[in-house]
Amino acid sequence: MRYDTLIIGGGLSGLVCGLQLQQAGRKTAIVSAGQNAMHFSSGAFGLLSRLEDGTPVDEPLTVLDKLGPDHPYTKIGPEKMAALLHTVKPFFAQAGIPLAGEESRNSFLITPTGNGKRVWLALDDMTLLPDGDSAFGSKALIVNLKGYLDFNTSFLAEGLERRGMKCRIEAVELPEMNRLRSNPTEMRSVNIARVMDGGEAWKHLVAAVNRLITDEDTVILPAVFGFADGAVIQAIREGIRVRTVFIGTMPPSVPGIRSQMRLKKAFELAGGTMLLGDQATAPVFRGSRLESLGTVNLGEVRLEADHYVMATGSFFSKGLWATPQRVEEPLLGLDLYAPEDRNRWYATDFFAPQEYIAFGARTDAGFHPLRGGQALENVYAIGSLLGGCNAVQMGCGAGIAILTALAVADRIINE
Amino acid sequence: MDKKEYDVIIIGGGITGAGTARDCALRGLKVLLIERKDIADGATGRNHGLLHSGARYAVTDQESATECIEENMILKRVARHCVDDTTGLFISLPEDDLGFQATFVERCRQAGIQADIIDPEEARRLEPSVNPALIGAVRVPDGSVDPFRLTAANMLDAKLHGADVLLYTEVTSFLIENGTVVGVRTLDHKSGEKGEYRSRMTVNAGGIWGHGIAEKAGVQVGMFPAKGALLIFAHRVADIVLNRCRKPANADILVPGETVSIIGTTSTRIPFEECDHMQVTPDEVNLLVTEGAKLAPILEHTRILRAYAGVRPLVASDSDPSGRSISRGIVLLDHETRDGLKGFATITGGKLMTYRLMAEKATDLVCRKLGVEAACVTRTVPLPGSESATLEEAAGKIWAAPTTAQKATVGRLGDNAGRIPLDDVYSQSLVCECEEVTVGEVNNAIDHLDVHNLVDIRRRTRVGMGTCQGELCGCRTAGLLAKAGVCTRKAKEDLKGFMRERWKGMYPIAWGDTLREGEYSQWVYSEVLGLNED
Repeated sequence: MRYDTLIIGGGLSGLVCGLQLQQAGRKTAIVSAGQNAMHFSSGAFGLLSRLEDGTPVDEPLTVLDKLGPDHPYTKIGPEKMAALLHTVKPFFAQAGIPLAGEESRNSFLITPTGNGKRVWLALDDMTLLPDGDSAFGSKALIVNLKGYLDFNTSFLAEGLERRGMKCRIEAVELPEMNRLRSNPTEMRSVNIARVMDGGEAWKHLVAAVNRLITDEDTVILPAVFGFADGAVIQAIREGIRVRTVFIGTMPPSVPGIRSQMRLKKAFELAGGTMLLGDQATAPVFRGSRLESLGTVNLGEVRLEADHYVMATGSFFSKGLWATPQRVEEPLLGLDLYAPEDRNRWYATDFFAPQEYIAFGARTDAGFHPLRGGQALENVYAIGSLLGGCNAVQMGCGAGIAILTALAVADRIINE
Repeated sequence: MDKKEYDVIIIGGGITGAGTARDCALRGLKVLLIERKDIADGATGRNHGLLHSGARYAVTDQESATECIEENMILKRVARHCVDDTTGLFISLPEDDLGFQATFVERCRQAGIQADIIDPEEARRLEPSVNPALIGAVRVPDGSVDPFRLTAANMLDAKLHGADVLLYTEVTSFLIENGTVVGVRTLDHKSGEKGEYRSRMTVNAGGIWGHGIAEKAGVQVGMFPAKGALLIFAHRVADIVLNRCRKPANADILVPGETVSIIGTTSTRIPFEECDHMQVTPDEVNLLVTEGAKLAPILEHTRILRAYAGVRPLVASDSDPSGRSISRGIVLLDHETRDGLKGFATITGGKLMTYRLMAEKATDLVCRKLGVEAACVTRTVPLPGSESATLEEAAGKIWAAPTTAQKATVGRLGDNAGRIPLDDVYSQSLVCECEEVTVGEVNNAIDHLDVHNLVDIRRRTRVGMGTCQGELCGCRTAGLLAKAGVCTRKAKEDLKGFMRERWKGMYPIAWGDTLREGEYSQWVYSEVLGLNED
């Protein structure tokens, strides 16, 4: 089978790249294992929240010169970065994913533990705050669904109270949840969202919440609504008689999964091919070009393309794999940023920056990955497979995924 | 300042202290137990959890072997909800001397340990994970024992019989009057408050920390810390304890424990300063994996969950304080006859599974000193939770058709599982999917088992001990703790502490799936929860 571009990896980066290419008329296929990091989303995208030394960043574009030479943003370059930033909201909007937030300035997201975190753009069920001190209002009614353990209401209340909001915590019991509750593992975000998507359950929730409101100006709910589409979110917002704010939960993330499904649908509607539940294997190289790939499901059938995009992710997605001796890129055997001495992989404090997070593929300035010291001409690496920066420490994981995907798509289109 | 009087103060909340507190309380004494951290925080919770048959010591130390088999049979009766009667195999590999087997079996039998030679084929059938290259095998009544559960059950029974327990409270100095220890001064690490407690006898059951405790009383106990490193594998790869049939060496015991397997151990003398900050080194990890794979080759491809280390309190013989001649048996020191200090005794040495005998000996001494005539009953009276003859019977008393999660609960709590409310669906939802721990069980620990933080809850419930190492259940449990009235800011700090503690056991073995799990945790706690923002 032959494509213009074959993308390995169906996470945020692979889908963005695929959609951009397919919309430009390039015949594109994505090989995807299934679950990916979007299922564990915070509901927001970070562009650059901190510099490597921990300094907080308010306007990412103004500090790009402070990033190291290996940071993917440095490779994209400041002009291209500025141009791409303004394409992100329209790009997602036409895929059915409206985003909130300012393009050139970080906002604050309240996390499930009630802490304020600098983010760039957020999925539209999330409510962003303009600065580090503001709150949603003066009095909050935090409502959980009784028995749901992944929404820590007291942590959230403590965080909001530090911002000067008075909080009251309540839990509502809905008859529609009885079936979930009777099974000890069913009261999880995705299952709740499925129950809430259909039928009358959301109306009962709205009524119950309205009965609980006294003098509060804000109602806070867990972001466990709108699995298939966002209609129920809008309906709840309209039904509750004060401002309603949704806050993220422990994984899996309903807003993240919904967005991933929409990107995938947009890609398929544009004519792209998803090879789902499959895994790329057996690369054949000629010189510095990748000639073809196999997959586990396709057996003898080979996949060929003019361009290949590696969007295979880092350790979690098995884009990288560590043995006691070394870190490897398992599909193509790419060159990596990663020392062999295992003692240098970790910080012993869990909350200190972990060296291994910065491990990943080495590329040239055009995102062609290196293999045996030589750049692969028709291969690109994007997203969290890329090495050279600590995306957790710097809060730039989603930004790298989206912007390297768009930058590489542009290169392929303009080649 | 808190001032109270007791018959006996026991210092140390490991299994020895808990067992001694229980024995003393059962004999009618008024008991206070003081522990500077949590129960089972030291060596008690950092070993194999092996219920020795004694076979391991049969050739080198008959006395220990005899003690082990007697205690093994007692614990299988009185602590059955803490014990897994797996049996054990001592295997000979081609590189081992098969001639050792005959001596081994002979010496086992002399110590009263049933030891049956079985042929390699039979061994492979009994335990398919065993190294198929084995040339000989002996079956013995080894088993495994859950040290946390065992300590908690002893502590609970002591309290049921009137004992007071102070956790997170450190003995800062002794009250000594006329050459007699008459009590202790304490510092409560939670509240910062000082206390003073008087007693007629004080027992030092501090494990390796007993060295420093004795010094505070002005007496010397020649102890030497010996670090032992172990690895936890993510599956119960073998259902039977596997040992090497040779003289005891490094990394030659593999013990199944609940859903996991534990390989160990090493033995390295360390300075006292390291006892509170032990780290497992890459060399130790490599040795454990290599040697472990000789017992069960599948270990080479099994995910490692955690690395950890404990400190054995080795005690120098009084006749040779240099430490060259080490006693591995039970050591009971009467400081009145030994050092002229009345009212003070030290109980140390021994093993996790000989704790009951250690407690009996220490309590006998206390009773003798206090002129109390009461016989030891711990050989026959079951621990709370072990009243039913079997766990099936215990579960059957509570549920008509127990689910797997309910069976897991009964496994952990025995008959005490009945305390968890039944009519409430919310109590039955799972906090920890890996270990099947319910909301009710966590709340039970919060309400009844003296917990102050997430790590304490882990020791009592196994929350966070499974494959995910606490990613999701840590946060869920923190929520339950906050609901139970713990200060929320403290609960957040506590959650961070819990993740730090989990990572400490992961980074020495962080490759493969463990590194994936580590990266996922980084993502969840930083990116999603923003816990690093605070």
